[in-house]
Amino acid sequence: MTGHLKSWPFVLALSIISAPIVLMYSYLFIDTITNSPPGSFIPHEFTLEHWRFLWETRPGKPSIWRVTLNSFLFASSSCLVVLVVSSTAGYVLSRLNVPGRAFFLAGVMVLHAFPAVTLIVAIFLVLQMVGLYNSLIGVILVKAAIDMPLGIWIMKGFYDTVPWEIEMAGIADGASRFTVWRKLVLPQVKPGLFALGLFAFLLGWSEFILPQVLAPGGDVQVLSVYLAGLIADDNNFDMAMFKSVGLFYIAPVLILFLFFQKYLMNIYGGGTKG
Amino acid sequence: MRILLDHFSKSFGSVRVIDDMTLEIKDGEMLALLGPSGCGKSTTLFAICGIHKVTSGRILFGDRDVTNVSSQERNVGVVFQSYALYPHMTVRENIAFPLRIRSLPEAEIKRLVNEMAGLVHIGSLLDRRPAELSGGQQQRVALARALVRRPNVLLLDEPLANLDAKLRLEMRSEIRRIQLETGITAILVTHDQVEAMSMCDRIAIMNNGQIIQIATPQEMYRNPRTAFVAGFLGNPPIAFIDAVARDGMLAVENADIRLPIPREADRVPEGTPVVVGIRPENLGTEGDAAIRGRVSFIETQGRENLYDITLANGKVLRSIQRVRDDVSLHDEVEWRVRSDQLFLFAQNGERL
Amino acid sequence: MSASRDIVEAAAVPAGAAAASAHPPRWRAGWLNSSRGLGLILLMPALVLVVLFFLMPVVLTGVFAFTNMSTATGISGGTYQVTPGALRELADRHGMDELAEKLGQPSFVVDEQGLKALEEMGIEPAIIADLREGHLGETHASRREFERMLRDLPERPDTRTVKRISGEFSRSLANSRFSSRESLLAAAEGVDPELTEEEKTALVQATYTGWVWTADNFRRMASSRDTVRILLNTIFFVATTLIIFNTAFAMLLAITTHYIPERPAGIFRIIWFLPRISPAVIYVLLWKWFAWDTGFLSAFLDNFGIRPRNWMLDTAANAWFFVIVINGFVGASMGMVIFSSAIKAIPESLFHAASVDGAYRWQQVRHIILPQLKWPILFVTCYQTLSLLTSIEQTLLATDGGPGGATEIWSLAIYHTALNNYAGNLQYGYGAAMALVLVVIGIVLSLIYLRVFNYRALVAKPRIEL
Ligand SMILES: Nc1ncnc2c1ncn2[C@@H]1O[C@H](COP(=O)(O)OP(=O)(O)OP(=O)(O)O)[C@@H](O)[C@H]1O
Ligand SMILES: [Mg+2]
Repeated sequence: MTGHLKSWPFVLALSIISAPIVLMYSYLFIDTITNSPPGSFIPHEFTLEHWRFLWETRPGKPSIWRVTLNSFLFASSSCLVVLVVSSTAGYVLSRLNVPGRAFFLAGVMVLHAFPAVTLIVAIFLVLQMVGLYNSLIGVILVKAAIDMPLGIWIMKGFYDTVPWEIEMAGIADGASRFTVWRKLVLPQVKPGLFALGLFAFLLGWSEFILPQVLAPGGDVQVLSVYLAGLIADDNNFDMAMFKSVGLFYIAPVLILFLFFQKYLMNIYGGGTKG
Repeated sequence: MRILLDHFSKSFGSVRVIDDMTLEIKDGEMLALLGPSGCGKSTTLFAICGIHKVTSGRILFGDRDVTNVSSQERNVGVVFQSYALYPHMTVRENIAFPLRIRSLPEAEIKRLVNEMAGLVHIGSLLDRRPAELSGGQQQRVALARALVRRPNVLLLDEPLANLDAKLRLEMRSEIRRIQLETGITAILVTHDQVEAMSMCDRIAIMNNGQIIQIATPQEMYRNPRTAFVAGFLGNPPIAFIDAVARDGMLAVENADIRLPIPREADRVPEGTPVVVGIRPENLGTEGDAAIRGRVSFIETQGRENLYDITLANGKVLRSIQRVRDDVSLHDEVEWRVRSDQLFLFAQNGERL
Repeated sequence: MSASRDIVEAAAVPAGAAAASAHPPRWRAGWLNSSRGLGLILLMPALVLVVLFFLMPVVLTGVFAFTNMSTATGISGGTYQVTPGALRELADRHGMDELAEKLGQPSFVVDEQGLKALEEMGIEPAIIADLREGHLGETHASRREFERMLRDLPERPDTRTVKRISGEFSRSLANSRFSSRESLLAAAEGVDPELTEEEKTALVQATYTGWVWTADNFRRMASSRDTVRILLNTIFFVATTLIIFNTAFAMLLAITTHYIPERPAGIFRIIWFLPRISPAVIYVLLWKWFAWDTGFLSAFLDNFGIRPRNWMLDTAANAWFFVIVINGFVGASMGMVIFSSAIKAIPESLFHAASVDGAYRWQQVRHIILPQLKWPILFVTCYQTLSLLTSIEQTLLATDGGPGGATEIWSLAIYHTALNNYAGNLQYGYGAAMALVLVVIGIVLSLIYLRVFNYRALVAKPRIEL
């Protein structure tokens, strides 16, 4: 921070351009617990009626708790798969002398930049053929595969920072390369695993298009698909209720984000770099 | 255990880093690998402990050829410059790690760890983590971890480089003490000649991937084989001046200095250009040859002073003498040097 | 030397240490210790996922692109159905009107096969004999005609028997279904024994209901006016969003937050991260609330006498505005983070020097900050081009390509063609062909991206040679 000009013009300008976002997110909270007179946005009464969906299941829709459980299973399983795959593959790409390592690394970068959504038609047909269409397993694997390149990339970055001497010492101490990885190196990249895990969980929690296409059925519906279904249903237009479901859905994201924003911003900035 | 590098070479891709090195380390001895940065000291060390494969040649531990034996089976203790302690483990777990890998019984591990901690004087630190230790303490832990499984050989890669001056002095004698107490064969990699001379039984001096000379510190100091060795040992370092053999004497061009040819030097043909090395402690008030110059710099070191004298041809010699009141800056002086303490080198650096 | 020997003898060498060296390290299987073995094992999960969900889909996208798979054909094999449509195709495309007519007409043929069936049914043998002797080989064009003939037989069969008999001689193919090519052809030869090879092929082709290999998808794509419109939409969308938001606006955010104290800067960064971190469904819902006809914007503008309306979908221009802003706000945060860290990396002294020179802030920006952002900008541009090209969620949820297809972009068109549309006829093959275009663009762009970010520099040689 340098400069001889005052910073308030910048604060003012930023405030103005940020106003729509602030407004939208503020009303995401306000509208869920209040009613406003028609045509006005100043609430005149407090109410919890918009949260009915928590205890009343609409006919033809799955229960919100079922859907939440699905979302949680979906996000945490795909996060787990991403963690396992990235922590192993990232280590190989960072440290081990395997044939085709450079090629694979280039591949990861291509995949990372690669538009996975374009593959969705083929994936949709494949899942139908192998019978994993409309199952959580199928969509979890697809989601994990799509997040994997970024995960490998991030973990490689973390492994790169572990000093070689630690591994050399481990080997001289008599540990096999597997033990060295498992017992000596993996504990050093715990912050990386944590950050990636958090990130992958949020990606899974927020995912919409994959479950929408690959697992839209009532039994396996996740929150995003459920909410989109509510919104798309023209017969029951109730913005405050949508927002309540939305707030219910986004709350974990916001909480995790506020607590761990440094980690997450770094991943968005640094993790995608290079 | 005796270690033998037999015609060992190492290349990275097309770059030959070590070229046909043969080096024997005797059982129980501590050998210094001394050389400038990038000369291949660490590479040699990594080859001995098996982290690098050798390109050609053999490595023998005792009579056993370990060239193709994996690092884990060589049982080599290594102490790195960065100590390479495992940060997520306590000191106790760090030292126990090599034993755990070998699946020793817990009671045995506990006993060995305690004994080793006692030997390196860190008994009270066992439950700390490496980040909570000073540099010297970390160094001791690294030593304990390397020694606890009774390795065939102890390799130390610049173990003192990260310590401050005072700790370095302390650890110098500590490492030597521990090496002597355990009687282990050890190789110390360093580019600090003081370390090498003060800690080791013998020094192997390296340059550009080759061993130039192996000798005891005394022998090497007194009798360097090349100008490189002479220049590497000694602090303040030796000074070199060019001269030409003329009329059985060594004439320094444009400086009006004539030095006698040392007796042990080979016959030097008339007109041969040579390099004369003069150690600072040998230039002073005694000797059979005179050197004239002007005092251009005086560095006070307490008990002694270091004088730079600039010759008529611009070359600078150094002299270290007890503090003298009769010499001050810019004085013209005529000091003396003993001809048997001159080192005579050919232009290519070989000793004559 | 001898002195040190004495010390060794006298020293309290840890007595048990010798025992430690007696135990060799415990060995797991060798492959856990070699770089290659362990490397391949640890790489295996990633390789499996890559093969299953990247390589195979890429290849299959290519394969499916050359089929006419759709909801109508199904994705597994089909059957052979002689529908009116199939017969029309036989007539129109292959010029075999006669054959089509023959196959389409109900025809009744008195043949041995039918007579045998009658015998088995236990029809009066006299009737069978009459038919065999007087009518074998006859063909009747309609049921009515055939049944009249039956009634006129000397035995005068009753109506029920007539119906039973006529059923056995019906040799029409219209609206019948065959599970294999052979059974179709056998039946067709029953109607017209002189089928040529050419006619057989045409018949099989016209009646097959499963998918077939074809390059029609690409021909259709090349000639369709929709393609051009969608392509232009896509280019407009990517270029505008990229230039306005992902780079320029992101840079504005990065630079302005750089010039204000850390605390408010942090708050603004969090605010601008919300669109990225929020699930798309909610984020777009908030925009809908903002732009809805009973939403914030309408209510606000109502005060100025502007009629409330659904601003997001009322005109093509407004729809584009919202699509670009919605996508742009998400994209801006990535640029913001990357540019911010690049600006942070500029040495303080450069700024100080510039202040001393009396350079104004915009000059600082021009001469110090912007030059340092060259690579980050290139990176963001490369990366975001690809993400925008394939972004779908926000646009799908916001306008769904509307109004009237005005904001239909390529990725969304794929979705609508192959995965979800109102008509319910999902054209997988055509969708795959459209996706293939993106796959190719994706591969090309990411190869360029690899070139630009010389990845080889990132592949350090392993320092442990095991
Ligand atoms: N993996 C490698 N690939 C290529 N060249 C290498 C590699 N490792 C070392 N070298 C080169 O080999 C030479 C010797 O390196 P080495 O690390 O043995 O030097 P050193 O004597 O230990 O130096 P220092 O005192 O700086 O540690 C150097 O020129 C170095 O650049
Ligand atoms: Mg080194």
